[in-house]
Amino acid sequence: MIEFDHVSRTYGAKTAVADLTLAIPRGELFALLGPNGAGKTTTIRMLVGLLHPSRGAVRVCGHDLVRDPRAAHLHLGYVPDEPCLYDKLTGREFLWFIADMFGMPRRLAGERIDREVEHFELGEFADDLAESYSLGMKQRLVFAASLLHDPDVLVLDEPMVGLDPRSVRIVKDLLAARTREGMTVFMSTHTLAMAEEMADRVGIMVRGQLRFLGTVAELREQMALESTTLEQLYLEVTSPRGRLP
Amino acid sequence: MSAKPQAPAIVRLLSFEAESRLFMRLRATLAWETVRSMLTDARLRLSIVTLLSGLFWGALYGLFLEAFAFLDALHADVMSLLFNAFFSSLMVMLVFSTGILVYSGMYCSTEAKLLLTLPVRAETIFAHKFGEAIWFSSWGFVLLGSPMLAAHGMVRGSAWPYYALLLPFMVSFVLIPASLGGICCMTLVAWMPRLRLHAFSIAAALACAAALWIGWAMCRQTRIDTMSAAWFERTFARLSITEQKLFPSWWLSSGLLEAARTEADGSLSFEGLSEALKFLALLAAHALVLQSLAGWLARITYRHGYSQLAGEVPARRRRPLRWFDRMLGHAGFSAGRPLRLLLVKDLRLFRRDISQWSQFVIFFGLLGLYFANLRSFNYNNVYAAMIGHLNLAVVGLILSTFTTRFVYPMISLEGRRFWILGLLPVHRDQIVWSKFLFSFLGSVVPCCGLVLLSDSMLGLPWGLILRHELCALMLCLGLSGIAVGMGARMPDLRESSPSKISSGFGGTLSLVLSSLFIMAVVVAAALPSHVYLLASTPAALSWLGLSPGSSQAMAAWVGGHGGTIVSLGFVVLLGLAATFIPLELGLRAFRGLEA
Repeated sequence: MIEFDHVSRTYGAKTAVADLTLAIPRGELFALLGPNGAGKTTTIRMLVGLLHPSRGAVRVCGHDLVRDPRAAHLHLGYVPDEPCLYDKLTGREFLWFIADMFGMPRRLAGERIDREVEHFELGEFADDLAESYSLGMKQRLVFAASLLHDPDVLVLDEPMVGLDPRSVRIVKDLLAARTREGMTVFMSTHTLAMAEEMADRVGIMVRGQLRFLGTVAELREQMALESTTLEQLYLEVTSPRGRLP
Repeated sequence: MSAKPQAPAIVRLLSFEAESRLFMRLRATLAWETVRSMLTDARLRLSIVTLLSGLFWGALYGLFLEAFAFLDALHADVMSLLFNAFFSSLMVMLVFSTGILVYSGMYCSTEAKLLLTLPVRAETIFAHKFGEAIWFSSWGFVLLGSPMLAAHGMVRGSAWPYYALLLPFMVSFVLIPASLGGICCMTLVAWMPRLRLHAFSIAAALACAAALWIGWAMCRQTRIDTMSAAWFERTFARLSITEQKLFPSWWLSSGLLEAARTEADGSLSFEGLSEALKFLALLAAHALVLQSLAGWLARITYRHGYSQLAGEVPARRRRPLRWFDRMLGHAGFSAGRPLRLLLVKDLRLFRRDISQWSQFVIFFGLLGLYFANLRSFNYNNVYAAMIGHLNLAVVGLILSTFTTRFVYPMISLEGRRFWILGLLPVHRDQIVWSKFLFSFLGSVVPCCGLVLLSDSMLGLPWGLILRHELCALMLCLGLSGIAVGMGARMPDLRESSPSKISSGFGGTLSLVLSSLFIMAVVVAAALPSHVYLLASTPAALSWLGLSPGSSQAMAAWVGGHGGTIVSLGFVVLLGLAATFIPLELGLRAFRGLEA
């Protein structure tokens, strides 16, 4: 579903992502971890087509994000770290705009909007202007918008920022259900507990390079640390004297 | 590689027309919601803006009517010259302003970030942002151009087709420089990312130099023979550069002049109308070609350019004025150090916010340019004094827009950082006083300097120059007091955008109070000389029902030392009241503020 094929991205002389090769199959929830400045956001921006790789190719469902971005975007849903909304649209109007953008039939779009409004408990404020929303409300609305068209791939950049515990639970349940139905989730996060709880595989990125790729159990095995938490493993991997190559 | 999965059955790519319709619907909804919010939340602001725009339009219409009637009788070709000069300079300005707006809309906005992750064509996003850029860059043209063109039609006694063709002419014309601006912007971003700033700076500098050269060439050596036949000939020759037949501005002015043509008996000239339609077709064809070219360029460059720009590494910031900040921070007694540190912080924020200081430099720079050219015209003493007073008012009005736009929101923005300031050993009064000092010290040098330049170029006597300087000082004090005091009295702690804070009720009220204060100061300062003038005009005396004897005695007192002292005393009182009353109200409110 998602392929990074020898992808590198440079900013001037600085290499943000170096020769990343990664394939994520259908129905997997993948969590990308790493310290600030490791290249996670650059990776995500290449995955959603905002940035072009300096070398290599990124593909979603076989569609190259540079050569055929529109076809790739039909399969994508994206929740950015900072929610982008139109202040002068109501939540419901925003959802209609997104549904229309994906060319969804009117009747089906109406049903999906009602479904997501209910899922994310937006009913109370769905008809207010977005300018009056709190950060958490905006984030819930963006989640709802990203799931309207049942994307094959959902990309999440720090998805839990601003969400209250109840909304976090809603999102977690929803992600678990959707991945069971075959949706692929690519998530960048600093919330290690969530990654440990939900991710099928994790990738740990340090200074633009993927230092580890596998399950948490495999990481424990490689580090020869049986009963440690992901947090301890993560700190070990990302430390300047990290034990992994 | 495995076969590409099909897109979910419930989604499909839209046609270009469907995407365009969707964006039109979006724009209509956003526009309607904006108007609705203004009608419910900002009625005062909307009423003032509508009223002032109406007054401005009416005043311009009257001015152009008088001017065209005068100039049309003076020289046959003067309209063509004026139109060509106006539209060609407008064309250059529209290229730059639309280019900048397209840049900020397409490459720097959060909306672009959202749209680029949706299955929408790059050219549709361009068309959407281009429409926005045209709206913002050309509303000034509509406000300035429509009274001018309507007055031209009235003076020429034109038939209805002239008025009906105005809108198509304006739209076709605006699209040409706007498309050029968009094309330049996308080309620079996509293919010359490292050079784009330099290229833009060089082009802007060349355009400014050309404008300065034309202005200087027009004004030099014209002291003696202004408005004479020789002056006209020389001015025509110098402005002939704007009459190039390959310029869209020439097509527009020629088309409008043809459309305004009438037969000898005042009836519609069909020959003129047919010529006008040819020019309109020429403009429309070029507008459509350039817009298509811009759309094509967006298709092949936009996503690539956006990515290129995001990969730019910001240059390491140099701090050449650090020594000044350090000196200001340590100058004076230790008791005032927190206030000085707040002042240094505001100064740094101002220096690093290009939108603030660039507007400051542009507006005061243009005013300085105008004042520096005042010597080129001949004035008698009375006329010079009147222009001096008007210039004082203009300086005050421009300063009031800055204090409302940039100083008024400062307290509200500081309120959002209360978690920092609230924990520091700084009294709240010091925060308010630091804003006042920042505004006053920042405005007093340019304002007093500009007034001095204007008065010395007008050749005013030193006595009058000193009076104007005192008025400028009071304007700086009062306008700073009003902006800071009102900002502290009515802070908006929820809003993070300074433009939205200043356009709210408090900001509008502050602007209105500032305008009234400026009018009161200028009228009080100008009154003695005007009463003196009235007393020496028999027609005015009879209209007022005064006898020459009594009026001369009154004029001697009002125009002499007595009247001057009273008027200056009133100006000082007004200035102190405008400074301290709003500040006191603001200080009281800010002390009790719960953030």
